[in-house]
Formats: sequence, C-alpha cells, structure tokens
Amino acid sequence: MDKKQTILRQPAELLYAHELEALKAHDKAEKPAGWQLSPRSVLNFIIGGQAGEVAITPKYIGHTRLVEIAIATLLTDRALLLIGEPGTAKSWLSENLTAAIHGDSSKVIQGTAGTSEEQVRYSWNYAMLLANGPTEEALVKSPIYRAMEAGGISRFEEISRCASEVQDALISILSEKTISVPELGKDVPAERGFSIIATANTRDRGVNDMSAALKRRFNIVVLPAPSDLETEVSIVRKRVSEIAANYRLGEAVPEEEAIRKVVTIFRELRGGMTLDGKEKLKQPSGAISTAEAISLLINSMALASSFGDGLVAEEDLAAGLLGAVVKDEAKDDSVWKEYLENVMKKRGAEWRGLYRACRELSS
Amino acid sequence: MSVGAAAKCGVHIFGIRHLSPAGAIHLIEFLNETKPQLVLVEGPSDATKLISQITLSGVKPPIAILAYTEQLPIRTVVFPLAEYSPEYQAFHWAAAHGAEARFIDLPSDVSVSLHASRRAAVRVEKENAREFYQQSNERYKKVAALAGEPDYDTYWERHFEHMTSYNAYRNAIHAFSHEMRQLSESEERMHTPLESAHNEIREAYMRTRIAEAIASGVSADRIVVVTGAYHASALQADHALMTKSEEASLPSVPTKLTLMPYSYYKLSTHSGYGAGNLAPSYFELAWQCAKDRDTEKLPSLYLASIAGHMRASGNFRSAASVIEAVRLAESLASLHGGRLPTLQDLHDAAITCLGYGELSNVADALARTDIGTAIGSLPEGVSQTPIQDDLNRNLKLLKLEKYKTTVATDLELDLRENRRVKSEEAAFLDLRRSFFLERLQLLAISFAQKRAVRQDGATWAEIWVLRWTPEAEIEVVESIMKGETIELAAAFFIKESLSQCKNTLQAAELVKAAWHCGLPSSMEDARQMLQELAIDAGDYAQVARTLRELSLLVQFGDVRKMDTAILVPLLEQLFLRGTLLLVDSAACSDDAAVEMSSAIIDMHAVAQQHYDVVDDVRWITQLEELAYRDDRNAKLSGLAFALLLERSLIDNERLAREVSRRLSPGIPADIGAGWFEGLSLRNRYVLLSRRQLWEQLNHYTASLDDEQFRRSLVFLRRALAAFEPREKNAIAELLGDVWGFGALESADALQRPLTGEEQQKLEELNEFDFGDL
Repeated sequence: MDKKQTILRQPAELLYAHELEALKAHDKAEKPAGWQLSPRSVLNFIIGGQAGEVAITPKYIGHTRLVEIAIATLLTDRALLLIGEPGTAKSWLSENLTAAIHGDSSKVIQGTAGTSEEQVRYSWNYAMLLANGPTEEALVKSPIYRAMEAGGISRFEEISRCASEVQDALISILSEKTISVPELGKDVPAERGFSIIATANTRDRGVNDMSAALKRRFNIVVLPAPSDLETEVSIVRKRVSEIAANYRLGEAVPEEEAIRKVVTIFRELRGGMTLDGKEKLKQPSGAISTAEAISLLINSMALASSFGDGLVAEEDLAAGLLGAVVKDEAKDDSVWKEYLENVMKKRGAEWRGLYRACRELSS
Repeated sequence: MSVGAAAKCGVHIFGIRHLSPAGAIHLIEFLNETKPQLVLVEGPSDATKLISQITLSGVKPPIAILAYTEQLPIRTVVFPLAEYSPEYQAFHWAAAHGAEARFIDLPSDVSVSLHASRRAAVRVEKENAREFYQQSNERYKKVAALAGEPDYDTYWERHFEHMTSYNAYRNAIHAFSHEMRQLSESEERMHTPLESAHNEIREAYMRTRIAEAIASGVSADRIVVVTGAYHASALQADHALMTKSEEASLPSVPTKLTLMPYSYYKLSTHSGYGAGNLAPSYFELAWQCAKDRDTEKLPSLYLASIAGHMRASGNFRSAASVIEAVRLAESLASLHGGRLPTLQDLHDAAITCLGYGELSNVADALARTDIGTAIGSLPEGVSQTPIQDDLNRNLKLLKLEKYKTTVATDLELDLRENRRVKSEEAAFLDLRRSFFLERLQLLAISFAQKRAVRQDGATWAEIWVLRWTPEAEIEVVESIMKGETIELAAAFFIKESLSQCKNTLQAAELVKAAWHCGLPSSMEDARQMLQELAIDAGDYAQVARTLRELSLLVQFGDVRKMDTAILVPLLEQLFLRGTLLLVDSAACSDDAAVEMSSAIIDMHAVAQQHYDVVDDVRWITQLEELAYRDDRNAKLSGLAFALLLERSLIDNERLAREVSRRLSPGIPADIGAGWFEGLSLRNRYVLLSRRQLWEQLNHYTASLDDEQFRRSLVFLRRALAAFEPREKNAIAELLGDVWGFGALESADALQRPLTGEEQQKLEELNEFDFGDL
C-alpha cells in the first residue's frame, strides 16, 4: 500500500496536492517573495473555483472577505491572528493557508499551559551540550526558528493557552524578525516570506488574556460561526464525506436530512432561539460548534458501521447529540430535556423518530 | 438658426454620477479644456436665478435647493449639493471663468406636481414595479460580482472613482450607462410606465432647452451639458423636442424656491442613488485629496482620522497601527487588482488593525469619519424666506446661535429676573428665549423640544433640548404659510386653531399656549373664545379640567410677565358653572365615575387655591348634598364625603352614623363597597385612625350573602389596591384586632414567610377572574 494511504490524517498539502499542482500550473500572476502561489490563487484554493480542468473544492465556506483580509495580511508580512469560538475552523483555515502559500503546514507549535519559552525559540540537546559545549549541532530549533530560516510560515495553535510570559516571547520575534542565540554569538534573521499564523479561543476554560503589546503585533481576524443554515449544512456535508473517505468508514454518508437536523439543533442551541425566531431557548454551558457537528456525525457513522447495520440510524445520532450538548451534567441536562420537550417534540412526523431516540437515552 | 436645426448640432455632454468626487475633478478638467461659454446643468430650470447665490463666498456646502408649494398641502422637492458635487463645481468654474450657468430640467412647479401624481399612481402599479426594481438591482449586483467585488458601491468606487484620466472617465461612464440603459429600457417601459414617461418628459424638456441655447447664438461646441450619466445618451441622440403646446400642457402648481443649509447626516440617510451618499464625510476627504492631486494620501488620512476619533474617546491607537492598517488596505486593494483602497477595504483594515478584529470597537469612529456632523451654512440675506431671516435674527439676538448644531444640546432656562445685569433686556434673556422656543415648538419646528421637569409649585425652570436638522429648516420654510416672522406665524397658528376649537378645554389649552409663547393679544383672543364657549359648557369633567388649567395660569401668570388677572372673572364664572353641574352630573355609571372623581378632586383643589375668588361656600354645600344623596353614584358620594371629612366638616358622631347607614346589612354590594371605594380615594390616614369604620366594614361584609360578597370583592379590591404596602399592613392589623387576634399577633403573622401550602392557596386566588363579575 502507498505510504500516503496509511497516514491517519494527511496534512492539507498532501490531501489537496493535485489541486495545488493545478493552481501552480495555471498561475500566471506575480508571486510575492517566498510564496509558491499568487495571492489570487491562494484565495482560489481556499474558497474554491477552477484551475484549468481541475475543480478546486472550497475549503472555507461563507466568509470570503475574511479570507481576503487574512491573505492581504500575510502579503504585508504581518503576523495573522485568527480568533473565534471553539470549532469555527481557525486551525483548518490556518493549515490550508500555510499549505497554499508555502506547501508545508507542518511547522506547528501547539500552545498548552506547559509550553515553555524554549519551545518558541530554541532549546538544546543536553547530551551534546554537555559533551561539546554550545555548538550548531546541539541546537534544537523551534518551528518558528526553522520557518525564519526557510522564509516560511509557522503556525502557533491555541496561543492563548500559553502562559503570558511565553506569549510575550513572540513580541521580539515579531518586531525584530530575528532570533538571537547568544550562546553561539549569532543572530538569525528571518528570510523574506516568514510569517506566523496564530489561533486563539475566545470562549473556553483555561485561557490566558493576551497582552496589548502582543495584540498590536498581529492583524486580528475574528472568525464567526457560519452565517446561515444552508452554509453550515454544506460545510458539515463536505467535511463529513472527506473524513469518511479518509477513515474508510464503509457505509453511506448520513443523508442530507439527518445532517440538516443536527445542524438545526446545534444552531438553535447556540443562538438560544429557534430558527424561526419565535421561541427563546436556554443555552448549554459549553460551545457547540460546527466542528462538533462534524465529529458527531462521524461518530454516529462509526457506531453504525461497527455495531449497527451500517446505515446511520436515529439512535446513533441521539447518542452523539446527548454527548455534544450535555457537557456539564447538572446544568445542561435540563437544557437538553427542555429542548426535547418544548421544541423537538412539536416538530411533527419527520422529527418523531429522533425525538423518541433522544428521549429514551436521556430519561 | 431654428430650434429644430440647432438640435442637430452636437454639444459636449459630460455624464456624471451625482455626489461623485471623481466626477467633480474630471469635470473641472474637462471644462478647463473645452472652455465653454455656457454650462447647462440637470436641475430645476427656475432655480437658475439661485446659481449666482450658490457661488457667493460665504456659502459653505452642504446646501440644498428647496422647492415648496405655497398652497396646502405643502409639497417639497430637495436638490442637495455637496462641495464634491460635480454640479456645484461646475457653477464655481463658470463664475470664475465668466461663463454662464443654467439649469435645464423641468421647473419645480412641474416636477413637484408630477412627483405628487406619480406617487399617487405608484400604489397601483406597485407589484410590477417591485419586480422590475428587484431585477434591476440584481443586474447591478451581478456586475459587481463579475468584477469580484462585494457590492455595487465598491465596484463603482474601484472602477470609476479611481480613474485618473477625465477622458477615460467620461467615455467609460457614457458607455456603461448606455449599456445599462439599453438593458433595462424596454422592461422599464412595460413595468413602470409612469417612471419611464417621466424620464421621457424630462429628457425632451432638456433637449429643448439645449436646442434653444444653440438657437440663441451660442455655438454648440462652446456648450457643456452636465447631466446624470443615465440621461447622457438620450440628450445626445436625435430625438424629438418638446413643442410649445406640450410644454404648456404640463401640470403645474406654483412653487417657491430657496436655498437651505444641509447636513452630511441627512445626505447619508438618502442612500440608493449617487456615489458619495453613504459616507459623505469620506467622500469629502476623497475630494480634498483629488483636488491636491494626491489621491494616494486618502487611505492614510482616513485611517489616521479614525485613530484620532478613537483616541479622543479614550481608546489609544498608535501611529504604528495606522501604518499597518494602511498597508493592509493597500494590499486588499491589490488583491482586487485596484490601484487604491476602496471604502470597503479601508473599513476592513480599520476593523482588523484598529479594532482588533471586532467591528464594535471601531463602529463609532467609523460613523464619525464616514458621515461626520458637518452642516452647511448660508450668509445672511442669501435667498432666504423672511421667516428664515427672522429665525436667524432671533437666534443671534437671543444668543442661541451656538446651539445651531446637529448635536443635541441641553439648554437650562431660569425665567426669573436676573438681578446681576444692568439692562432689562439682559435681565429677562431666559424668559425671551423661552417665549421664542415655545413659539417654535407650537409651530412644530423640531429644533426645540421641551423636556418635562419635576418641580414643586414653581414654573420658572425649563430644560430645552436643541438640535438643528435640515428637516427643521424645511419646517421653518413651511411655516412661511402662516406668517412672515416666527411671532406672526405662532399668532396665526393660535388664531387658526381657535376657529376650529370646539370646547372649553381646547380653548383653555390655547390660552395656555399663548401664555407660553408670550403673545398677549392671542391670549386675549383665546380668552374671549373660551368665554363664549363657557356659556354653553355642560360637561362637568371638561369644566373641571378647564378650571385646573386656568387656575395654574392665574397662579403662575407673573412668572412669564404676562397679566393673567384677566382670566380671574372667567375662573369665577366657570367655577360656579361647575358647582351647579356637580350633583346632576354625579348620577352616572361606574365607568364615567372614574373621570368624574378626578374632576371633582381637581375642582376641590381649585376651590382651596382660589378660596378668595370663587364661591367656596356653595361648593361645600353641593358636596354635602352629593355626600348624603342615595340616588347618585355611590363612589362619588363616598368621595364627596371624604372631601368634607378632610376639611374637618364632619364630626365623629356623624361619621359613625353615615358609615353605619351606608354599610348596613341589606345594602347591595356595588353601592356599599362602591361608597367605601370613593371614601378611600382621599386622606387614608384619617380612615386608618378610625377603628370604628373598619368594624363597620367588617360587620357589613359579614352580612352579605355569597353572591353579594363576591360582588363586593371587586370594589374592595379596587379600593384597597391604591393603598401603600405599609397602609395595607395597618389595615390587616386593624382587622386582626377586630377579629380578636390582637394587633401584635397579626403583625407577626404578616411578617412570617409563607409556607408552601399558603403559597399554593394564594396562587389559586390569583387565578380568580374578577372579570366574570
């Protein structure tokens, strides 16, 4: 078996390699220093379109203007910060932008409470350090370091999860565009094309505020939840079928009707209001994002294929829904029950099966 | 040369979009090149005489030409001009180069009446029209989408406003409008025939004016016609002219024309046609930059001014952030293949770099920079109606000029004499201001709004909110119908209202209005009218309310230095009328009793306030009669009894007797409990201090059968609802005492929290429907 086929999750540049090739082949416009595609083609790659014979699938649906702002930001060699609620496709967008611009989305720092300043700048191979003293060979370069050398883009995921002092290590990197290594007595200047795309959550636990000094060094784009039902349904459908193909889940992708139901439930609970705007609803404590709708559907498919008849049934969906909505037992349980009784029950025949399945699980 | 032959000669036509800075700048260049002798502009041809005033040095745009009908109903048509209007710049060019400028569109007499008849007919063809407009909107959206722009305004800005050569601009706009017109013309004729006909009439009229100008001897290549791009092709083409008889048959109403100051805020609210409208202040910046031949400066200027507004409101943004915003805007523009950022690009850059990604952070600064608070002005004496001049004169005289801004400002007035100044004029400045503002308010001119003030027993303080808007200017102009000055107009308004006035209350309100406006002779007119009406006044409630108005005027008359003593005889006369009406009017239904009871209370207050003037003794006698009559509304009898009780005209023994008579067993619930309701409308402390009364009430309710008891509940509930919680507690204690629980114990019981069972019982009671009774 081809190696590419055994990788659990392919990075964007491999997943869409043929699209990128086609775009490169048809790109006549001028390319900025260090970019493999022109800004127009990058936009095309993200929002979808056509490159010669090859159809480019849309990667980010609904907010073209925000993508334009993001690309324009990277054009001005400013760092880009994508902010949004959990599951608004921040990382997805940053990965695809990086893949389109540089063909390498692997230079990632994952921000956690335990991320240290060394992981942002550089650290040492201590065995070599003790044996030979500070040498080039003993230096362990961070993804940002490597991106600066290569003139590429480094991604910094969940930057707001890092401690403030670690975040602030970025300030000098972003303003001076160099990393100095005093132990070796040298400065590493960034090659043209270097930039950073960071992502941050607005509404989550364990998040540190970002300092104003750091915010000023980023152009900030806030990614909203999908603007309407149709957009969200099409996002979910596209991702579900892609992932299903990747995971080789044999059964049919859930029908549009099921996807529509899940997205409707999610949108109503997220907005605290029924879609027709007539009824106010209690909101659950956690964020219920598009990404979660996708993983819920994938989950139901896995359930159906492993333990069911291979078709996604209402019971499979119900289990996922309960888990997605009720994150905090005490508070969310009543929210979900009220939603079932007040909204779903009154929706008529098409919803009856899902309602029964949900009620059975949560009683 | 004949007019017909003249029409064949080509004149220079320059198509524009109204309110377009690029149009203005290119037009000036074009005029410099062609050096015309005559500039013809699309606009009401009877306004040509105003052009010389528009170009005067003291005129500061935005201004507007206002056409208004002299007859009712007043109709107006407004033609706004900003500094960056191509038309405005054309006038200035003509004035500076000794050329003549003329308007050539239908005169306002005709356009006002066509406008009105079209509006009336639009309702009929609405459905068709809506579909047509939707389609045409779709078409514009499609053009924008094909060019990869988010909306048509952005498309227009990037592809036309940013053009650098006037020839390219002129050709592009002609071609574009021509094509768009070709696409929509036949549909327009089908779906909105009136709209289409209106255009035909206007274009024929304009062609005729052009042909006339040529026939008068000006050579065609020395004429430049400035018109909306849509009309450009129709004016060039070899179409029919308008004959004299056709022209004479156009409908027309006499109108007058004036110039008025306009505001950017107002410009921005008329969106839909013309480029600069949504963001007038931004387009002025664009115009300034274009005039200095430095269009590259605009992004920095715009974003720096946003940062400036943000700093002013306490949100510091550094110059470095502005630099980054400018770079982002420019790179957004380059992504669309543009040379310069559009307003949309600048907005997005401001949100990203200055607002940290959130629109809400910069929304206020954006509005200030896009729209601004600029307001135009005209030098004194420039084509204004006498009433506008009078207004400005008054504003100056009363030192109110600084309030003529679009920002609402509070003005506090103290009507009393200011003893620290020398002249009498200055001493009563605030009073004269109040007169003036009251007159404006009476004329419904929205410049001045009085704010309600709570003030005990005095009327010398007033708070006004002053805000100037172009609407206010229009309202001032409309008031010319009523008089040449504000004072005359206000007096006329009162006179007119008096002639339509039907009852004493309306007349009394006009007396008050005249008093507020400081118009003694109008007040006298109103007083006479009131007196005439008073002869036939037979409605007790109305008489009482009229009395209250008069009483206030008599009481506070001298605050406004107006002699209100002339009202005293009237007060006396009406009071007597009221007194005599009392007992008869008190035979009324329970519904009418609500209004009656407040009228009785009003009149009682007048009796006490003016005891030296009015016949108080007779009033008391009538009250006594009402109190003891059994055939009047029980609630009103109870109220009369309460008023007597309040004035200590009833001793304990009489009270006991009356209470037991009114509340004796066998009296129907609506009469007994209704009486109690009237009694409790006044002086509750007196009631609370008399235990005997409550014993009697208790005894009475106990004697009622079930059905009657239910009925009595309605009245008792209403009566007791007006009591304060503290008073209700006192009643509960009193009753507890009566029932033998002791006042202390019942007080204690009241303070205990409710048990679940009790709660439930009370909730059941809540569902008790009193409406059934």
